[in-house]
Amino acid sequence: MAIFRYPNWRWPDLPGAMEDFERARRQMDRLLSVFSGGTETAASSGVFPPLIVTEDEDKIYVEAEIPGIKAEDLEISVVGRTLTLSGERKPEEAQEVNYHRRERKWGSFRKALTLPEDVNAEAVKAECKDGLLKLVLPKPEHVKPRKITINGQ
Amino acid sequence: MAETDLQIEEKKAVQAGGESTRDFPVFIPAVDIYESENALTLLADMPGVPIDKIDIDLDSDQLTIRGTVPQQELKGKVIFKEFTYGDYYRQFTLSSDIDRGKIEASIKEGVLKLVLPKAEAAKPKKITVQST
Repeated sequence: MAIFRYPNWRWPDLPGAMEDFERARRQMDRLLSVFSGGTETAASSGVFPPLIVTEDEDKIYVEAEIPGIKAEDLEISVVGRTLTLSGERKPEEAQEVNYHRRERKWGSFRKALTLPEDVNAEAVKAECKDGLLKLVLPKPEHVKPRKITINGQ
Repeated sequence: MAETDLQIEEKKAVQAGGESTRDFPVFIPAVDIYESENALTLLADMPGVPIDKIDIDLDSDQLTIRGTVPQQELKGKVIFKEFTYGDYYRQFTLSSDIDRGKIEASIKEGVLKLVLPKAEAAKPKKITVQST
């Protein structure tokens, strides 16, 4: 009798089918939670890492939750208006142990984001602390709102 | 397609039990627990929790872990939001006897690592069979 280990089993000739189901399930969940008067849930893209993007007049701020990822395993690049975060979350090396629970996920990731405005790629600052990544992307002079003073006569 | 592409695991909010006095969401951290011959190791994803804001409590066989995330100020207006900041709370019931004096806890890159060494009595004993 052939015994298949479930996680290795894939849909034949349908790459990404499980991801599509997963995405549909998430959207259904969100819809249902809105109908049932639940709290606001984030409109998630489903791609790791989860982000919060905010902006003010001078800067764009990007925050991400990346627990267990070392700074050297993370790559950040800005090309034009596209910010790309990529890297790998590596499993803890443990030998000759019995797992009771295994909920933490690992693997590689790549997430690209189109920024709402041009940024000065040279002046981007990144900080990684306690599993949180914080990016500050300053806007160049020409996109900052300019105050126009009206000369009275 | 890569072998494993990381997807966002949506944070699960704590449903019942001790309600917090702070108006801040509380989430259940994802954990790995593994057992070796000498110890039980627990890893918990708790991004945003600084080392001094972690609280571990072992009361008889109830292990409680709690992590507090300092209030996060979002600057400017929000364009895109995929997660919410919140505290972490989770409770476990331990089955084997733990040597309380030797519990080690550390936190690195937002991952809590708890090593709970087994008490001498709970360690497996090897019995040598002697041939005569």
